Amino acid sequence: MSTIPITGAVDRPWILPSRGRVGMSALIVAESAIFTIFVIAYIYNIGRSISGPTPQQVLEVPIFATICLLSSSLTIWIAERALHRSNMKMFGLWWLVTWVLGVIFLGGTAVEWRKLIYQDGLTIHTNLFGTTYYSLVGLHASHVTVGLIGILTVLILTLSGKVAVRHAERIGVFALYWHFVDAVWVVVFTVVYIVGRS
Amino acid sequence: MSDRAIPIGESIDLTPPQGMAAGWLELLHDWVITVDHKKLGIMYIGYALIFLLVGGLEAMLIRVQLAVSNNHFLSPETYNRMFTMHGTTMVFLMGMPIIIGIANYLVPLMIGARDMAFPRLNAFSFWMTAFGGLLLYYSFIGGVGLYGAGSAPDVGWFAYAPLTEKAFSPGHTTDYWALALIVSGFGTIGAAVNIIATVISMRCKGMTLFRMPLLVWLNLVVASLILVTISPLTAAQIMLEIDRYLGGHFFDTQAGGSAIVWIHFFWIFGHPEVYVLVLPAFAIANEIIPVFSRKAIFGYPAMVAASVGIAFISLGVWAHHMFTVGMTSASNTFFVLSTEIVAIPTGIKIFNWLATIWGGKVRFTTAMLFCIGFLFQFLIAGLTGIMLSVAPWDWQLHNSFFVIAHFHYVLVGAITFCLFAAFYYWYPKVTGRMLDEKLGKWHFWLFVIGFHVTFDFMHIPGLLGMPRQIYTYEPGRGWDSWNMIVSLGGAVQAIAVLVFVFNLVWSYSKGTVAGADPWDAWTLEWATTSPPPVYNFAVEPVVSSRRPLWDLKHPEDPDSRYE
Amino acid sequence: MSNQQEQPNISHQVVHLPAPTAWPVVLAFGLMLVFASLVTNPGIAILGGVLVLFGCIGWFREVLPHEHHEQIAVEVETIPIITARPRIARIQVDETHRARLPLETYSVMSGVKGGIAGGIAMIFPAIIYGLISHHSIWYPINLLGGAGIPNWHYASAADLTAFNWTALLVATAIHGVTSILVGLLYGALLPMLPRHPIVLGGVIAPLLWTGLLHSILGIINPFFAQRINWAWFLASQFAFGIVAGLVVARQGRVRTAQYLSFAERIGLETPGLMHERPQDEER
Repeated sequence: MSTIPITGAVDRPWILPSRGRVGMSALIVAESAIFTIFVIAYIYNIGRSISGPTPQQVLEVPIFATICLLSSSLTIWIAERALHRSNMKMFGLWWLVTWVLGVIFLGGTAVEWRKLIYQDGLTIHTNLFGTTYYSLVGLHASHVTVGLIGILTVLILTLSGKVAVRHAERIGVFALYWHFVDAVWVVVFTVVYIVGRS
Repeated sequence: MSDRAIPIGESIDLTPPQGMAAGWLELLHDWVITVDHKKLGIMYIGYALIFLLVGGLEAMLIRVQLAVSNNHFLSPETYNRMFTMHGTTMVFLMGMPIIIGIANYLVPLMIGARDMAFPRLNAFSFWMTAFGGLLLYYSFIGGVGLYGAGSAPDVGWFAYAPLTEKAFSPGHTTDYWALALIVSGFGTIGAAVNIIATVISMRCKGMTLFRMPLLVWLNLVVASLILVTISPLTAAQIMLEIDRYLGGHFFDTQAGGSAIVWIHFFWIFGHPEVYVLVLPAFAIANEIIPVFSRKAIFGYPAMVAASVGIAFISLGVWAHHMFTVGMTSASNTFFVLSTEIVAIPTGIKIFNWLATIWGGKVRFTTAMLFCIGFLFQFLIAGLTGIMLSVAPWDWQLHNSFFVIAHFHYVLVGAITFCLFAAFYYWYPKVTGRMLDEKLGKWHFWLFVIGFHVTFDFMHIPGLLGMPRQIYTYEPGRGWDSWNMIVSLGGAVQAIAVLVFVFNLVWSYSKGTVAGADPWDAWTLEWATTSPPPVYNFAVEPVVSSRRPLWDLKHPEDPDSRYE
Repeated sequence: MSNQQEQPNISHQVVHLPAPTAWPVVLAFGLMLVFASLVTNPGIAILGGVLVLFGCIGWFREVLPHEHHEQIAVEVETIPIITARPRIARIQVDETHRARLPLETYSVMSGVKGGIAGGIAMIFPAIIYGLISHHSIWYPINLLGGAGIPNWHYASAADLTAFNWTALLVATAIHGVTSILVGLLYGALLPMLPRHPIVLGGVIAPLLWTGLLHSILGIINPFFAQRINWAWFLASQFAFGIVAGLVVARQGRVRTAQYLSFAERIGLETPGLMHERPQDEER
């Protein structure tokens, strides 16, 4: 009773998770909830349009754009590895590749929308399909756009030589966001182009 | 972690320390650009208090209108605006900011941190919330509206489709509602992200998850719940605006859309929102009841588990707001049962609070009185909740004043009582002065009497069939005298709130000086001066039990021996 | 236990805190204006957009390449952490304060086994009843299974004595599920009367169950209620209960958690109920 017990915890190194990663994970949960609601709205409204055009008639599966977007997850990971090894040239190169792949994806969406609007006459107020399609794919595209602005900013900073290994943590947090955008596309793609057209 | 490290060597950017504030403009400037969690917390709370008065005034106008039959004190249009704005204000501009403000102020202090994880995001979140509220109230003067009476929203706080569609709600009233709440919703999500990152990544040495004060635990749960509840509302409001601005058809029944989907989306947000508001109230009771019972909280792990359990269950109960919509009997059964299951974790909590008080040396300060009032009233609120969770009972009483009485029992009888307790308990820490106990007792007794006169009797016109949101009613239905009693009780509550506001202002300069630890409490915020310095703790604390100050005060019998 | 007072007195220390910045409020105001432009004037969006852009850039420069900090001089002030209430009392809990729960009981699974055995045993008195009263073993089965067959509200005596596949299936399902559930309930209730499983299962429970059914059967299964013979029903309930009780009694007893102290059983920190950890076990 006379001595105050020493608990083991005090002497062990006190390591907590990085606040950046925790914060980004929390943001991703919130974003997932927003996407969930839009995806539910899309699925619920499949086949409820009372006039055409229908997805079966006008949608084409964007295989190439999808491959570009999904492989950008891989390239951003390679870039991160290069950064950890302090290999700035390789980092810049793969980071540029990531950006280009993202831009190709966004361009693919733009071309697709152009065709839908001018060729097929499908706009957001044409029918329920148009409303749900443009809002879901548009929501995702806006996230891609935000991601591309971020990637471009880092790219410019890299080219002007301001990025170094000590930024690896922040860039890793940003890469989490990009992986999330890619993962959401898998869901959107499945719902819109596979389930929605069948 | 690299995150928390102070920059080393040349890389330090030395902004010169701010000089002493001279004059009110400098003071204002200091507050506007601050990133300090304590100042932001105070701003959240002050902002919420202003809207408490505004929302209260709206409630009083509603009660004056309903006090007698065939009344034309307000125009029907104004009446619609009043109940819409009362609900929206109290939930989004008073309830959410005040719970986030309290979390903002207390969480870093309680976990021994010097600030939130993202101080700038914290400032951004507050200003988003604040500007969202301003945008909503700008609607009163912002447009001519339909009837030349401003264009404040008038579609009810749940804004059911298709009433909100362009055809039925012309002008910008509904847009003000949706856009303002989207703006403040971004702020709320930012604050939730920040609270989670703070709790997980900023704890002081030795503060393991299971040594955190329960207030911190519950705010972690609440922040997680906010992430998955406010976001669906934002998503649904974006859909509504797509319908209204871009001609979409989400909730447009003419084009195949579904109004029921809006109801689902709204309550997927709306029901967990109740728990977003009530869990912080539990958190406050969890801190106050042990201190004034002079005992450790009973069943800490059970309390944590019950809170997490409530958060999970709350995600699966939303359609109990929709029994009269006409769902399948399988859905009805599911939502009846899932709603009733909520009673289990809440029951665990009530028993744990009672067991904490049991055998303790109870001190009946104003804060403790409010907590005891909370225990009784929350029990009754839970019981009427179970009654309403039974589908046939709900078919009978849905959208009646019985429902209004039930949820005001939760929102006022439980949440507001705990919030008042929090003011009496932490005001000394925030300002360095005690709130006057004598005025506090007046506040408590007036409020508790006013509350019961209002909301006990409000059940009865509901049982007699009086629906909610009606402008006025015919005499001779047996509702008249009950409504008069309810309105008089409302007036007593208003007087009590004015006593409270007077107490806040008066005690700021005239209250007795508090000292660092006026309540002889056990959590870390009482280990620093009142008010705390901007850096919170001169030396970062190290803890080895749930009650670090108990350990220091009773070195011969520390809690750490039992862990 | 580290203690703030014990730290070396470092009065010249400075603390780095995030510097105040106006960019978050600028960004928030800009975003609000962008949204407000939808209900006011599109021109507002331009102002809002400019503010958003400046807010983003300003904020970015605030945290990159280095987060801006300000130095705050720390005034180390010793805050005495003492209490005016140094005495500690323990709540004394008398051994007889609450009803003692049994130290030994039967496992819940033994109740389920008893339920299955009892369910099988119950078939015999039911069939004997059918043979004696209506000269058909199918009568009680049809009576039970009739609940699941539509349009049997006016079934004739001939219908009820004849073999019917649907009735057999429905009756088997109802009987099987009910037997297992009642067995489970029985197992769960056993700790209340652990010394006399046969009395509980064979006498008390059938009486309670039959009494309950007698009062509510008219509501839940009116078809059954019209034709039931309560004496025989009680007899088959006794058969169920006694067999179930016998089966349970043959199972081994298990210790309950009552052997442990209260605090240990629920893992709580409960001053007064919890025994201090012995000194030599401490790390």
